[in-house]
Amino acid sequence: MAAWFLVGVLLVLTSGAGTRATGQSVKNPDTFVTLRYGDPESLDPAYQYDTASYEVVYPNVYETLIGYNGSVLSTYVPRLATEVPSLANGLISKDGLTYTFPIRPGVKFHDGTTMTPEDVRYSTLRFMLQDRDGGPSWLLLSPLVGKESTRDGDKIVVTYAEAAKTVTVQGNNVVFHLAHPYGAFLSIVAAWSFVMPKAWAAAHGDWDGSAGTWQKFNNPKLQDRYAFDHMNGTGPFKLVSWDRQAKEVDLARHDAYWRAPARLSRVVIRDVAEFTNRRLQLQQGDADLIEVDRSDQSKVMGMTDVTIRDDLPRLLIQVLHFNFKIDPTANPDIGSGKLDGSGIPPDFFSDVHVRKAFAYAFDYGTFIRDAYRGKAIQPSGPIIQGLLGYDPSLPKYTFDKNKAAAEFKEAWGGRVWSTGFKFTLTFNTGNTARQIGAQVIKDAVESLNPKFKVDIRNLQWSSFLQLTNAHKGTLYALGWAVDYPDPDDFAQPFLSSKGDYPQRNSYNNPEADRLIKEAAVSSDPAKRKQLYKELTQIAYNDVPSIWAAQPTAFKVMRSWVRGWYWNTVYGGEDYYPLAKQ
Amino acid sequence: MTGFILRRLLLLPFVALGVSVLIFSLLQFLTPAMRASLYIHDPKQLNALPDIIRKYHLDQPAYVQYWDWLTQVAHGDLGWSETAREPVADAIRGYFPATLELGVYSFACILALGIWLGTQSAVHKDRLLDHLSRFTSISGASLPTFVWGLLLLMVFYGHFGWFPPDRLSLAAGLFVRAPGFHPYTGLITIDALLNGQWWIFWDALRHLVLPVATLTYFLTAVLVRITRSSMLETLRTDYVRTARAKGLAQRTVVDKHARRNALIPVITLAGLLFVGLLSGVVITETVFNYPGIGRWGVNASQQLDIPAVTGFALIFSGLLVLGNLCADVLYALVDPRIRLQ
Repeated sequence: MAAWFLVGVLLVLTSGAGTRATGQSVKNPDTFVTLRYGDPESLDPAYQYDTASYEVVYPNVYETLIGYNGSVLSTYVPRLATEVPSLANGLISKDGLTYTFPIRPGVKFHDGTTMTPEDVRYSTLRFMLQDRDGGPSWLLLSPLVGKESTRDGDKIVVTYAEAAKTVTVQGNNVVFHLAHPYGAFLSIVAAWSFVMPKAWAAAHGDWDGSAGTWQKFNNPKLQDRYAFDHMNGTGPFKLVSWDRQAKEVDLARHDAYWRAPARLSRVVIRDVAEFTNRRLQLQQGDADLIEVDRSDQSKVMGMTDVTIRDDLPRLLIQVLHFNFKIDPTANPDIGSGKLDGSGIPPDFFSDVHVRKAFAYAFDYGTFIRDAYRGKAIQPSGPIIQGLLGYDPSLPKYTFDKNKAAAEFKEAWGGRVWSTGFKFTLTFNTGNTARQIGAQVIKDAVESLNPKFKVDIRNLQWSSFLQLTNAHKGTLYALGWAVDYPDPDDFAQPFLSSKGDYPQRNSYNNPEADRLIKEAAVSSDPAKRKQLYKELTQIAYNDVPSIWAAQPTAFKVMRSWVRGWYWNTVYGGEDYYPLAKQ
Repeated sequence: MTGFILRRLLLLPFVALGVSVLIFSLLQFLTPAMRASLYIHDPKQLNALPDIIRKYHLDQPAYVQYWDWLTQVAHGDLGWSETAREPVADAIRGYFPATLELGVYSFACILALGIWLGTQSAVHKDRLLDHLSRFTSISGASLPTFVWGLLLLMVFYGHFGWFPPDRLSLAAGLFVRAPGFHPYTGLITIDALLNGQWWIFWDALRHLVLPVATLTYFLTAVLVRITRSSMLETLRTDYVRTARAKGLAQRTVVDKHARRNALIPVITLAGLLFVGLLSGVVITETVFNYPGIGRWGVNASQQLDIPAVTGFALIFSGLLVLGNLCADVLYALVDPRIRLQ
């Protein structure tokens, strides 16, 4: 019986399953359904720091003072401010330390109250002073207060006065006073200056904006804030419900929106973990847009009435990191811990010839072909395509076994080549691209010399975290995605001695530190461009990491979707211009 | 009987305590940094690791953490689940009825189909029906749940569009979340009837068809085999031979004389099967995007969401005790020869 059933199933499937929706009329024409994987962590704009949350928060429910001009990241349009500050219009002071935003009058929050400049000031202070561990507050704290955090360990190191003086209300304007000139400030404002009503927040137990109480609200847990699962923004959609069990966020049109109301009346964003389920819902027209991994792309190609938007530029980089000073304590990944053919010494990667050898031994083309179906480019360094200072003509490592062998022969006074080595490369479980990258480098390096041995180990995220935290990683794969589209967001974490990765990997170049600082404070694009080119050259010379790939994105949606555009900064879609026809 | 039941119920708190101690002991194999992975999802947050360990007291000695948790539970608070984004108790209250609903419908189908097929298989031993039923049940147990689930989904949703995934359709989902709909039990089919919303009832039922069919096909095998062997044994007994000799119709002999006695081991199995069903629905819930407790439990385990895992384990240890108790009680009720001491 079961066998007959299976035969029947196969017959049905091969006789045209998937064609049922051909010529289908638009389902739920006023409602847009997005199926993705991953559910929001928090709806609090000052807490959330993940793409699933960001999609809901911005630009759909909360808005910023200025916004991106559609897909264009280099110019801005006014949103909650009526003008984009510039040197030309005098809203940026000549010293680059003061930014003035005239606030748009008559903008209504979702609860019907009218936005005021004080709401903007309050929201900015709340964003900075809430400052949860691992949260986004540093994005405004750093340029305004000049500190990355309000705390040093458990001790609060920022006073209210320090923070309050950085954002002031002057009539109908809100003025930001920077700690030092910062060329990327507008870029941060465009992505992170969300506004919520002060009175609403305070009425629901949040900080009331007073100087004496903010410390109680510093570093909250996820559930501590009303805004965790309630929203009150000015955006084109308002929150109807967040069903955490169904993993579904429902948004409804904000009819009192300051621009014309959205064309859609409802947006549903649902987390569906299983790809086939998402695909079938798209096929049936029950979903309008679904998230698809590059490895599953072939399964959605050729679907009737489905459009794939491919080659979408993305500010994301995949990297293999060298740890210059590996902690050898109980570390199986370095084998014997000596350069004796059965292990590596803890400072194995501190020799630039070793790093260069690995950079030459990485088959970039095969990696991009196998991991991303060819839909990626090889970057020259951390300043990737789409950022100021990116220059494709700058030198980059190419797959060259002869050069790799030559570098290995020079490494450690020739001992690497003669004695060989053995270590384990790690990546986090479930990341197929990183797994492929690891295999690619293993194959090439081991083919150079029979004494070379690279093992591969995938680790659960928790174990991987433990490994990197303890400085026990050898050569490991991790990436970086954009916070705000400025080269500083990439130069800092990869090349500054205080950056996320150099701290973990003990990389330190004072010249890189100096250039990063100089580029950050400059407001002259031409000068910044030159400085980031110099930093890319340092990244090439020092090889602190292998800059493996900058993958592009693709989106899969029903052909009836109108008004869609791509913006790599958004966590998901801008639903405001969308319609179904 | 009452004394027996009470004694077994009194065991529950001790079982719960034992389970919680066991879980906390096992967690000591994980370093604080590993347990902090629950709060760190992105390389951007790596530098916050020491602060997060401090904030959530992950570096405290195990007994301190356990005592904190126990004090919290004594105040009726099972803690906060980062994976469910809500208190553990609320998550259990939300997820469990969905799984219970799926489990009850599946269990009814499994019992009906398993006992019927097992009986027919025994009665028609070594004939076509027997072979077919054995083949069906064995293939059901052999085929991975996700393969079977996806096949059903592709045919009955992807091709015919009859039975969609999820728990409710878009319109029904928005309706039940609206203030006018009162969730009395959390079981949507029941709540729909209690609210007088037949369309919600049918909608929920449509969404249950495929996951129930998947679980039924997967879990019927064991019941078929136990029923079959028990029936075969019973059919060979003297009293059945006597019933036949008296000239009773075959149907009466099978239904009234043989099957009742043959069901004794089936009842024992069924109690455990129900608990197993509730805890083993992970794959089915994932394939059909069904928001049940199994999917949440696995997600919580993978992400080291300790309060959630502990709450989840407590619930299922309690269910296991109750399932065993039910089986013992039913066993005594069905077989008068057995008396509970």
